[in-house]
Amino acid sequence: MSASDQRSAMLLLSPMMAVLLAVAVFPVLYSLWTSLFDIKLTRMNNVSFVGLGNYVTTFLDPMFWAAVGRTAWFTVSAVLAIMVIATLMALLLNQEFRGRRILSTALLIPWAIPYVVDGLMWKWIYDSGYGALNGLLLQLGLIKHYLVWLGDTHKTLALICSAFVWKEVPLATILLLVTLKSVSPDLYAAARVDGANVWGRLLHVTLPAMRPGFMLVMIYEAMMAVRHFDLFFILTEGGPADASHVLSWHIYVETFRNLSFGTGAAIAYLLALATFGMSYAIIRLLGKRL
Amino acid sequence: MSSALLAKRLALLVGSVLMLMYVLGPVAWLLSSSLQREADITSIPPHWIPSPPTFSSFKAIIDAGTGAVSTDGNASFVPSTAEYLLPALRNSLIVASAVVVLNLLVSIPAAYAMAKIRYIGRDMSVYFMLATRVIPDIALIVPFFLFVRKLGLLDNLGALIITYLAITIPFSVFMLLSYFESLPDELDKAARVDGCSRVQALIKIFLPLAQPSLVAVILFTFLTSWNEFLFALMFTQTAASQTVPIIVASFTSDFTTSFSFINAAGVVAIVPPVIIAVVFERYIVSGLSAGAVKG
Amino acid sequence: MSEGTNFGSGRRRFLHLSAGAGLAATGVFGGLTRANAADAVTLYTWSAGVDTVKRQLAEFQKQGGFAVKYNNLPFAQYREAMVTKFVGQAPIDVLWVSDGWLPEWADAGWVAPIDGYPQLLKYNADVQDFCNQSMHYKGRQYGLTYYTDYMAFLYDADKLSKAGIAAPPASWEELVDQSIKIKKTGLSEYPLMLSMARESWLIEFMSSLVFSNGGRFVDDNGKVVMDDPKQGAVSSLQWVADAVNKHHILSPACVELGELNGFKSVASGNHAFALLPRYRIQALNDPRQSHVAGKIKQSLMPAGPNGSHATVAWMRMHAMSAAAGANPARAANATRLIEAFGGKFDGEYAFQKAMFLESGTAFGVKPLFNDADVRGAYEKYGDFSMFQKQESLARKKDVISRWFGEWDEVNGTAWQSAILGQSTATDALKRSAEKWKSLAKQA
Repeated sequence: MSASDQRSAMLLLSPMMAVLLAVAVFPVLYSLWTSLFDIKLTRMNNVSFVGLGNYVTTFLDPMFWAAVGRTAWFTVSAVLAIMVIATLMALLLNQEFRGRRILSTALLIPWAIPYVVDGLMWKWIYDSGYGALNGLLLQLGLIKHYLVWLGDTHKTLALICSAFVWKEVPLATILLLVTLKSVSPDLYAAARVDGANVWGRLLHVTLPAMRPGFMLVMIYEAMMAVRHFDLFFILTEGGPADASHVLSWHIYVETFRNLSFGTGAAIAYLLALATFGMSYAIIRLLGKRL
Repeated sequence: MSSALLAKRLALLVGSVLMLMYVLGPVAWLLSSSLQREADITSIPPHWIPSPPTFSSFKAIIDAGTGAVSTDGNASFVPSTAEYLLPALRNSLIVASAVVVLNLLVSIPAAYAMAKIRYIGRDMSVYFMLATRVIPDIALIVPFFLFVRKLGLLDNLGALIITYLAITIPFSVFMLLSYFESLPDELDKAARVDGCSRVQALIKIFLPLAQPSLVAVILFTFLTSWNEFLFALMFTQTAASQTVPIIVASFTSDFTTSFSFINAAGVVAIVPPVIIAVVFERYIVSGLSAGAVKG
Repeated sequence: MSEGTNFGSGRRRFLHLSAGAGLAATGVFGGLTRANAADAVTLYTWSAGVDTVKRQLAEFQKQGGFAVKYNNLPFAQYREAMVTKFVGQAPIDVLWVSDGWLPEWADAGWVAPIDGYPQLLKYNADVQDFCNQSMHYKGRQYGLTYYTDYMAFLYDADKLSKAGIAAPPASWEELVDQSIKIKKTGLSEYPLMLSMARESWLIEFMSSLVFSNGGRFVDDNGKVVMDDPKQGAVSSLQWVADAVNKHHILSPACVELGELNGFKSVASGNHAFALLPRYRIQALNDPRQSHVAGKIKQSLMPAGPNGSHATVAWMRMHAMSAAAGANPARAANATRLIEAFGGKFDGEYAFQKAMFLESGTAFGVKPLFNDADVRGAYEKYGDFSMFQKQESLARKKDVISRWFGEWDEVNGTAWQSAILGQSTATDALKRSAEKWKSLAKQA
């Protein structure tokens, strides 16, 4: 690596660095700074330094840990579901067959829908009074009368997770497909020569070659799931009875309903550290290098 | 071997049907609901196919968009913010397009550098970039709001453009970076031996090869900007700058509503991004051919 | 051609391009949307009666001589969005404020008292007592009311007569009996509609239940009584939980049902009884919006044992931002706007009357009750004397305080968990009481 290489690199990086430093870094540092103070949005001029006090309060708050549990469940379930469904779809789309264009076009539609519309759509489908889910199950004879869906605390989180997975699957599929396409056909040919059948090729050639794709998807989807907010806002507002009160909702409530900016920022920072740690762990586990 | 072939065909068919149902089912219901009358839409069990289908909800959107203010408040159970839907479409389009262009200008060089140049501080810069995205957006609202206000960009599309640029860059770079890394270094070296500078090598050699990844980034950036809700809610104040998600959300918390109208608004809201997605589909999925890179 | 030279010119070109693009972007968009900042008054409302507001504003601007920049936000996000704007010091002159938020916003110094403007205070004489109380905080007045309403008890007269019931229930016990009877005839699976979803309306629904059961959340001395089994709060929550889990006259989905969807459900003819804001009667009896038009009637809120026919009333008003209040020129304009919309315009309570005629929303100013247009319009779909009678029994929420928002979160969850059978009514209200006490201590 030469000095001119270093210069080239700096040059090429400069626009990105400029944008991020100017726009992203200030809010991030500001949030960290505010988490060290006892700040209420209603009295922004009268703040006191509490150091790690907000963090301590948060750790002692049982609602925080309940939210952590729900977020963890949501994230793990979402990532698993997305990985499985997206892998299956990517494998399917990797095949050459007639009508594949239709499928791949249709695939992009859930991704194109804004979360707001997605939330309203699923809310409409899950509606306990008029929803299509109830209607479908009733007509298929699987239920005798309309069930409560979002309002049933045992189902709430799972339903929101399904709506989230549905919308995230297209991007995950595409990312996996891009990885699949970069697998050289020579590898398949070699495996066939060695006598591997479909499953063997799948297990020993395809899946291992998709590792960078898996890593990318896992990191991205985990990050998205952990911080996801829109669906919780549209569908249940953290309810009923806190069944869907996850960390991102908790931050929203702390900051905008309880107007406690300091503790909201502290929780956000804890979430940020956890997210970063999670990404780092995934990178180390799955990636040979970044 | 024909039975194996048959089995494969069957598997493909079943897989395709399942996938189509999964992906399109809910959207089909959205579409169907938007074409039903208000009375039918709340029937139990639901009418799967609208009979009779009616375009009255869509008509209401267009009517509202042409700005005719109803003087008889009793007449409309169409949300009062309905007239902002079409202008919001325009706002969303402007913002999303601008973010895509700026994003590409910024992300491509950065990703290339991170993938192909072993410079000092490389790993750090990747982690730094990712680190700007680990903070949940809700925590960033107030500081972003203050920042935007200082720039005097409140209620201005520029605020959204800057914000969305900041939130889409890290992952765009990460996506491009992963793809560039899978492209062999020899290409780069060969080009430079021929007298190209790094930048020229990037433009002439790598970009054409990276088409699928580029398209993924374009789509990702466009759709993220189009769909973003939280920042738009906080930064925009009037119809002059409100984007589609905000307007659609306002329909549900208004004091009057019609379910078929909301569904119709949903359909209208997704038409542009779906068109974009369909147009670019051929460059991602169908445009990929295995082995082109390694060959 | 050395790499260095190419490189250098490339870099310069690139930087020029991106800098130029950046400047162009801010320039182009900067010009797009700025209203004339000079003397435009910025008005923020939630999106209720938007057409009415626009029309009144047009009239006002014709006569007033200054421009009004009108913004509206969805009601469900209004409080959070306004908080962000206050903290970020976005320009706001006049805004709508709901009674529940006044202490919080006044203590934060975001809204200015209007005590110094006699031209506004003179309207207080015409205003209902509970409205006057709600417009004041710590002895100072913060706005002029333009809208007040209360939680009404509505029933479907058609279903009642089909089930052979002569008159609507006078007590919650009677309501249970009548509902079971209606359920048996198959007219409705869940005869009672009650909206218990977490949203801004929840406290209003809860308060009407509690008050009619003779209970209170907090008594007049500020003492917490919500968890006292002898007071009505516990028994009212227990009644709701029983309605769901024991008598099955109220759907367990009520915890996901918001006020708007509840209204739609009643309009579809699914229920015989409902608790809804009174102004919904207009839409419910409108054949264009309701399947049961003409059948919905209001009766007095059922009384609990040891209770009364009391209900809860809320008040919304036009207030002035602190920033506007500090600047004499802005304050002058703001007062004129507030007077036109919260007081009289052209000698009439024009805005309040227009809102009533168009959206059915009621008003806090007593003279309008004697207005022939008002009466005539109401009689088309409702019983005017019942309207007045119930209003005389309405009281304002007793939980309005600076920490109301934060307490509301916990209380809402507690009620929902009791309704869902996850906790007993007593335990749930104990949690609410504890939260109130701890918040009050921090004050």
